[in-house]
Amino acid sequence: MARQTELLKGTLDLLILRALEVESRHGLGVAERIEQVTRGAFVVKPGSLFPALHRLEQQGFIDGEWTVSPAGKRAKAYKLTAAGRRQLTAEKKLWARIAEAVGLMLGEQEG
Amino acid sequence: MALRRKLARLWQVLFQRSRLDRELDEELRAYLNDLIEKKIAAGADPAAARREAMLEMGGVTQVRADVQRIRIGAGIDALWHDIRFTCRTLVRKPAFAVVAILTFALGIGANTAIFSVVNETLIQPLPYKDSSQLAFVWADSTAIGYPRGPLSGPELKDLRQHGTMFSAFDAIWGSTSTITGDGDPQQMRIGFVTTLFFDTLGAQAFLGRTFNDSDSGDRAPGVLLSWALWQRRYGGDPAIVGRSINVNGQPTVVVGVMAADFRLLFPPDASVPEDLEAWLPFWNVTEGLRRQNFLRVIARMKPGVDLAQAHDEVSQIAARISREYTDYGSRPRAFNLVGLQADGAREIRPGLLALLGGVAILLLTACLNVASLLIARAAARTRETALRLAIGASQAQIVRQCLVEGLVLAIAGGIAGALFAQLSLRVLLALRPPALSRLSSAGIDGVVLAFAAGTALFCGILFSFAPMIEVFRTDVIGGLLGSIRRVGTARYRARVVLVTLQIAFGLVLLIGAGLLMRTFIHIQQLDPGYSSGRILAFRLSPPADASESQIVTNDFHRRMQSELAALPGVTGVGAVSHYPFDNIPNWGSPYLSREGQEPGTAIFADFRSVSPGYLETIGAQLLEGRFFSEADDNTSGRPVVIVDDLLAKRSWPGESAVGKRIAVDPAVTGRDDRRRWATVIGVVRHMRIRSLVEDLTDQVYFSIRQVPRPTSYVVRAAGDPTALVASTRDLIRKLEPQVPVYDVRLLDSYLEAPRSVKRFTMQLALAFAGVALVLAFIGVYGLVMYSVNTRRYEFGVRVALGAQSGEILRLVMREGILLLSAGIALGIAGAAVTGRFLESQLFGVSAVDVPTYAIALAVIAAAGLLASWLPARKASVSNPLEIIRTE
Repeated sequence: MARQTELLKGTLDLLILRALEVESRHGLGVAERIEQVTRGAFVVKPGSLFPALHRLEQQGFIDGEWTVSPAGKRAKAYKLTAAGRRQLTAEKKLWARIAEAVGLMLGEQEG
Repeated sequence: MALRRKLARLWQVLFQRSRLDRELDEELRAYLNDLIEKKIAAGADPAAARREAMLEMGGVTQVRADVQRIRIGAGIDALWHDIRFTCRTLVRKPAFAVVAILTFALGIGANTAIFSVVNETLIQPLPYKDSSQLAFVWADSTAIGYPRGPLSGPELKDLRQHGTMFSAFDAIWGSTSTITGDGDPQQMRIGFVTTLFFDTLGAQAFLGRTFNDSDSGDRAPGVLLSWALWQRRYGGDPAIVGRSINVNGQPTVVVGVMAADFRLLFPPDASVPEDLEAWLPFWNVTEGLRRQNFLRVIARMKPGVDLAQAHDEVSQIAARISREYTDYGSRPRAFNLVGLQADGAREIRPGLLALLGGVAILLLTACLNVASLLIARAAARTRETALRLAIGASQAQIVRQCLVEGLVLAIAGGIAGALFAQLSLRVLLALRPPALSRLSSAGIDGVVLAFAAGTALFCGILFSFAPMIEVFRTDVIGGLLGSIRRVGTARYRARVVLVTLQIAFGLVLLIGAGLLMRTFIHIQQLDPGYSSGRILAFRLSPPADASESQIVTNDFHRRMQSELAALPGVTGVGAVSHYPFDNIPNWGSPYLSREGQEPGTAIFADFRSVSPGYLETIGAQLLEGRFFSEADDNTSGRPVVIVDDLLAKRSWPGESAVGKRIAVDPAVTGRDDRRRWATVIGVVRHMRIRSLVEDLTDQVYFSIRQVPRPTSYVVRAAGDPTALVASTRDLIRKLEPQVPVYDVRLLDSYLEAPRSVKRFTMQLALAFAGVALVLAFIGVYGLVMYSVNTRRYEFGVRVALGAQSGEILRLVMREGILLLSAGIALGIAGAAVTGRFLESQLFGVSAVDVPTYAIALAVIAAAGLLASWLPARKASVSNPLEIIRTE
């Protein structure tokens, strides 16, 4: 699994942005969301997650904000910015094109 | 917007790092806690949940480091961290830091100092306007032994008329004149110049003006003073311009004063002394005699004209002159055009470049030393490096750390080196020979500083790679658990190479210095054909009334000479027109040695007028005939000359020269009808009066009683010649109170000038070699010591098993001797190759001089053996049990 995420490092940003599309989440929330939606295909470990989150924050695609939970615990929650939303759209399109191209390639090989 | 955000972030990373890290830690802690809670909620017991969560997290420190690494400016931050770390470790081990920085500072400093000299003389343009357009025109008379001769006035006119690629041709002639009034009469070195000479150079007057076309008319000529004369004789009088002073008995108006820093930087054989005291304009110089060659011609090329084209045009003009005028007979005129800058540096360029090469080798040796030190330190820090790799430092980080270390050392060394350069430049300037007069304006400027900084950085990067040799192979487990013995063989091998090179370079420099030293000793011991020792030299101008008739002048000098000879402690007295290596312009002209000889085939000779007794006093060797007597004067009606053996052999091979006749023109007019036939009464051995290392030109000696010239005296003392200064001055003051005595020096000091350049290069080369020797010593010592330390255990076991201390000593010495042999072999090969570049600087010694090689080899071998004996002895006397116990 770890190997899988390693291989698909380029797609990690897309997955994180997608996980934050609807609502803001903290680190663990993002990891859980990705695992849940991909039905366990991607398990994002903190070693990849946090550098990616901080990089995206640095690039201005997501914004980290300290929140206090009802239980009184402080947590840093990330939300998508306008730039992040644009980036997500662009990455989705790019991904669709790659998927289509790779699909064509595989189809041709088989036929 | 995005940029502002990034800049804000950068600010945080660089200056609010601790807050960022605190927040990151909190975030990670929250993550971990959430994970644990989730697992407990799923039914795990708290301890197991915690353990599992930790495992999943994969090391908080690692995650933290990964996040820190992707931050903007993380590189800068880490660099800053590395720099602080390096400085701390250097301060903690000051001995290492001091040795490394000092070694490096020495290399950089010496290089910077020599470079500043090279910069000033070879790179920086001459201090004239657009000096790259300035060139010197030489008449090439190689056939008569005068490859760099002057031109005549009409030839200057031809150049001006036909030279289309030039904006100006101007000329100067170094001569002497007497200034009277305002104190003692004084014989001065003056330059006669064409009116626009200074304009062509682009030199301005400090006061008043330089010459212009109005100065070439019939009215009283103007005179331009040098700063030095203005200060000395006129006390820097600001109202001097417009005043009339007496030059050669003629009232002459001062038109201006040149600036203090104005200097004529002409090649020495142009006979244009650098310390001219005044300038006078020529009068109608272009209408002179075609064959009266005395002008040193400078040309200004039009912008965009290159030297080769300009040279072609000048050659064509010479060819045209040869065709049009029959005066030159069968020997055509040929002109050479050379860049003023290149020509000025002609004599010293090879020497300077050799020095630069030597000092570069020195720098390399210094770098090798620092690299070797760094490797040794890296070896000592193997465990530290392995530990850092183990806890997740990347190799890039280790490399960066090494680079930072090297650069910090290089920068510190560079700064110390610049200071050292400043100091050594002052020493250089103090030692500077007169031929390097341009040097006086050498200094540490922007170009030189850039050179120093560039060299420091380059070397820093170079030697910081050295300790990296084993970074990429560091076996983490071995490094952590094993002892130093298990790693470090590559490092050891690298150091062996470095130290071998150090020995080789040291030997190259030692051999170079040795060759230069032998050259200098050789030149010092050369017999120039006379002896300048124990001779006092001074000049005096006869009173104005004595110059009116030659009879009066002769009487004056006869009386002076006999009174001087009567002084106690004086063993000989004579007078001459030019001392050997005098700083007044050379005097000479072609001569004919047969009736009916075509003038065009005449050979050039140097002329000197000497008094009876002069040749005897300086110890000239009479080969045939006799010296001059007082009877050889203007009343005898019979012109006589003494010639040197070169002239005698050339003109009358296999015959006696005495009684033969030559036709000479002592006034150097170039007119055939001014030649007169003189009888040879004696032949002396050629005297080296213009070059110590070669026989230049034939020599003709006139009797000064027949051919009068401004007179310089020589007085030979039985003991210390300086003891005669006071009595000589007293005597002359008593005899002729009005007569000025000046330039009182030892005759030896005139010969110092040609020796001084050689002495200078020798001193510098010796200094380089000394430093390189010390560095090689340190290199060998450090390496053998290191090897002894790493083999302590082995030695301990050996001794424990019964080896004698002598065996250990031999074992260690063998290592040193192997190093030395390799280094020496390499050094000899290197010296044989580089020796060729030194050849132009050598005289009387071959570039592969066996004794020099042998001595240099012995010196470096002795140093190397001592450097390996010291640690070997230490190894052989240590207690084996103690060593085995500590390992």
